[in-house]
Amino acid sequence: MGAAQSASEEIRELVGKTGFSSDQIEQLRRRFKQLSGDQPTIRKEHFNNVPDLELNPIRSKIIRAFFDNRNLRKGPSGLADEINFEDFLTIMAYFQPIDITMDEEQVQLCRKEKLRFLFHMYDSDSDGRITLEEYRNVVEELLSGNPHIEKDSARSIADGAMMEAASVCMGQMEPDQVYEGITFDDFLKIWQGIDIETKMHVRFLNMETMALCH
Amino acid sequence: MEPAGTGRRWPGPPAPLLLLLLLQVAGPAGALAETLPDARAVGTSASPPSPASVVAPGTTPLEESRLPVFTLDYPHVQIPFEITLWILLASLAKIGFHLYHKLPTIVPESCLLIMVGLLLGGIIFGVDEKSPPAMKTDVFFLYLLPPIVLDAGYFMPTRPFFENIGTIFWYAVVGTLWNSIGIGVSLFGICQIEAFGLSDITLLQNLLFGSLISAVDPVAVLAVFENIHVNEQLYILVFGESLLNDAVTVVLYNLFKSFCQMKTIETVDVFAGIANFFVVGIGGMLIGIFLGFIAAFTTRFTHNIRVIEPLFVFLYSYLSYITAEMFHLSGIMAITTCAMTMNKYVEENVSQKSYTTIKYFMKMLSSVSETLIFIFMGVSTVGKNHEWNWAFVSFTLAFCLVWRALGVFVLTQAINWFRTIPLTFKDQFIIAYGGLRGAICFALVFLLPAAVFPRKKLFITAAIVVIFFTVFILGITIRPLVEFLDVKKANKKQQAVSEEIHSRFFDHVKTGIEDVCGHWGHNFWRDKFKKFDDKYLRKLLIRENQPKSSIVSLYKKLEIKHAIEMAETGLRSAGPSFASLNDCHEEKIRKLTPGEMDEIREILSRNLYQIRQRTLSYNRHNLTADTSERQAKEILIRRRHSLRESIRKDSSLSRERRASMSASRYLSLPKNTKLPEKLQKKRNVSNAGGNSSDSDADAGTTVLNLKPRARRFLPEQFSQKAAQACRMEWKNEVDVEAAQQPCTPAPHRREGATQTPGALRQPLLPHGQLGPGQEGPTTESQRPRPPPRLVRRASEPGGHKARWGSERP
Repeated sequence: MGAAQSASEEIRELVGKTGFSSDQIEQLRRRFKQLSGDQPTIRKEHFNNVPDLELNPIRSKIIRAFFDNRNLRKGPSGLADEINFEDFLTIMAYFQPIDITMDEEQVQLCRKEKLRFLFHMYDSDSDGRITLEEYRNVVEELLSGNPHIEKDSARSIADGAMMEAASVCMGQMEPDQVYEGITFDDFLKIWQGIDIETKMHVRFLNMETMALCH
Repeated sequence: MEPAGTGRRWPGPPAPLLLLLLLQVAGPAGALAETLPDARAVGTSASPPSPASVVAPGTTPLEESRLPVFTLDYPHVQIPFEITLWILLASLAKIGFHLYHKLPTIVPESCLLIMVGLLLGGIIFGVDEKSPPAMKTDVFFLYLLPPIVLDAGYFMPTRPFFENIGTIFWYAVVGTLWNSIGIGVSLFGICQIEAFGLSDITLLQNLLFGSLISAVDPVAVLAVFENIHVNEQLYILVFGESLLNDAVTVVLYNLFKSFCQMKTIETVDVFAGIANFFVVGIGGMLIGIFLGFIAAFTTRFTHNIRVIEPLFVFLYSYLSYITAEMFHLSGIMAITTCAMTMNKYVEENVSQKSYTTIKYFMKMLSSVSETLIFIFMGVSTVGKNHEWNWAFVSFTLAFCLVWRALGVFVLTQAINWFRTIPLTFKDQFIIAYGGLRGAICFALVFLLPAAVFPRKKLFITAAIVVIFFTVFILGITIRPLVEFLDVKKANKKQQAVSEEIHSRFFDHVKTGIEDVCGHWGHNFWRDKFKKFDDKYLRKLLIRENQPKSSIVSLYKKLEIKHAIEMAETGLRSAGPSFASLNDCHEEKIRKLTPGEMDEIREILSRNLYQIRQRTLSYNRHNLTADTSERQAKEILIRRRHSLRESIRKDSSLSRERRASMSASRYLSLPKNTKLPEKLQKKRNVSNAGGNSSDSDADAGTTVLNLKPRARRFLPEQFSQKAAQACRMEWKNEVDVEAAQQPCTPAPHRREGATQTPGALRQPLLPHGQLGPGQEGPTTESQRPRPPPRLVRRASEPGGHKARWGSERP
């Protein structure tokens, strides 16, 4: 009785904190259990159990995002070693669909949060800027699935993209200016045209937990 | 004959138009007429005597005619002559409309064309006292409609289309059914009222009428929506619906028509009808997909005979259409699916020029068709085949609007439950409002068999009223309404490389999260399809079978496009951009110390100009107005921009300068050279180079052999280490820094970064430098495209290697 009560209290707490409904939390908990092998926390190795993730070119970044302290709201930088269920939910909460009942301001906030998540994935050294190297790294990873593309192509593409970003964000630059990297505000500017709040969502209720071993 | 530029001119100069009219009127009934008697102009026609009347070259047996010096033989060329005149008239009308810039934005072109048609029809009617040539339904369905649908299907943005496919099908199938049955039944109810004098119209006839009038028309939707630029999702919903509801329309139309003609109707017939629907829809799609694949496969082998590549695209699409029509399947769906399937693979197989040809020819055909359709609608309206009945007509109109609105509302409530992003009221309103009827309905109503439909004329009148109302009133008012409601507009930004990267990145993130969640989302299916595609389809259908990343394709495309533009504007340099993607050399270049970097910066800042951001935006139909002067400026800026590219203050982008033979030394920095001295020399060379045009010619050819030469010169620098900087190929660039750029191998990334803290500095150009302005990969204008969306275009496969390695002048 006590266990059930505390369990439901816990769920209520989580509902309050993360914004998921209790059904969704149940589903996610089941999934968490599957991933962690019934342990209370998940480590990076557990993500190897997700078969399709192998094929994802940026899997390392995605996995990293789960452990990123900035996403977990535990600090300005660094990686956690393991995450518990609540942390798992925190990360998943970034992908909640936008509620139509929200007003404009809240929508903007949501959008910012989602974009911040993405920004953290780009900005691996947590310095608040996406430098050219980090950008290159991203592009290389994206293209890594493609054996025919050489590293240099990735470089030049990244450079080109960086130039675009520079022109978008800085406009005309003085001769002495240097462009340090893409800050979060610049990042927001770049993504301005794109509808992230409508695209960045996962339907959490219609989940089918796939077998972890194929 | 040129309609001189400014001011308003109503459609075209009057004189040639009247001439055309005269010829039309004077000539006998055209091939396009169905009702005019076949009065060949052998001098016996009842038409007023005119200059075009023919002198028959035949001889009567009674007397011998002398050898004629000059003869006029109209019947010989009659059909093609009249067709040509009609098309010419349509195009002239279009010119006329666009003379006054604001006109097409206030009034959609379709309305103007219909009005011209009405005018013409009125003239012909007035002169001839018989109904003007109406559009033969065969001509419409077989010749005029396919190009428009092909154009729409080929350029359909596939991603949003498939993302919304459930909703689109829902609206197309269920919505059309809802509308037809609703309108049919309510009209029947009206007909029951004795006072209106309509009681002889049976339920089946009403249902048939309902089915043909409820179909949203792709031609009209295209014509109206392309000017108002609503956001992509709305556009794709309305437009997709208009394309896909063809299956339902075809089935219902044939079904009810057969029912009208059958004596008794049994339940098995109803079931046959339902089964027929599936056959029609799915059959059409399968034919389209099948022929699409065959077309793609064919283009795999056309690399030796590039000239006929566009022909295959058109032939196969048209083949799919008429094959489907042969089996009474849905031709529109067939051609749409064929185009969509073909698009992906054909793009990669055909050459650049062929692609451009395909695109332009398609647009031209569809434009002509659309114009003709609307003009004919206008012309055919005038005439004697009308019967006016206030009740029927007005109730038809009312029911059309009401049922459409109701239908959209109810259906949206249902589908919103399944959508993650529900459709708002604004969206619903626009969707309902955008349900325009058009030429298909028009043609279908003319096609009704008069024997079964004694009141056919009534139907015609009612249909015309509805069509005109939707096209004129709804079409004209939708634009201010969109602005009033503040509907989200289309995103006009050009496709930039960074956007592509972000989109891709985002896709992968989403897929990854979905995988972690164990969720099979849209992305799951898309990924599965993509894998299947990569594994089997692409190997089979694409000639150069390299799995391409969309980022790289886009990048290459932009580069090539840029190069083409540079060449087109008459510059000598048609240089590829700053990276040789395919065979980039890896080389190790000595790192520069921070002090050197600062020096470089200083020198540059003293001598180079600043870059300006450029935007070139292409619209679907026209290129930017002020071409030459602005272009010249843009080119200058682009050149500078490209020069600037070379200046990277961060760790590692080394550019390669290839300006003249003597500059070969600068390809890489030999270890012992002192930097400032080199800079000095380079500067002199650059100044010198800038002043002479010889270097241009030189550079033009040197790039040709860049790679081999580079290889020759840089063997000692050639390093096998990964993560080397890419050399930038430059023609004409005798510029300063490039080779001095430190190229730090990956392990030293950090150091490089600290040395020049990730700085990306806007390069400055040397004074008077005439380099090839190479556009950076910033937003390059794409080829004009309808709804803006990610587009992947192939770059010339054959030319690829040629370009990146060595530019052939």
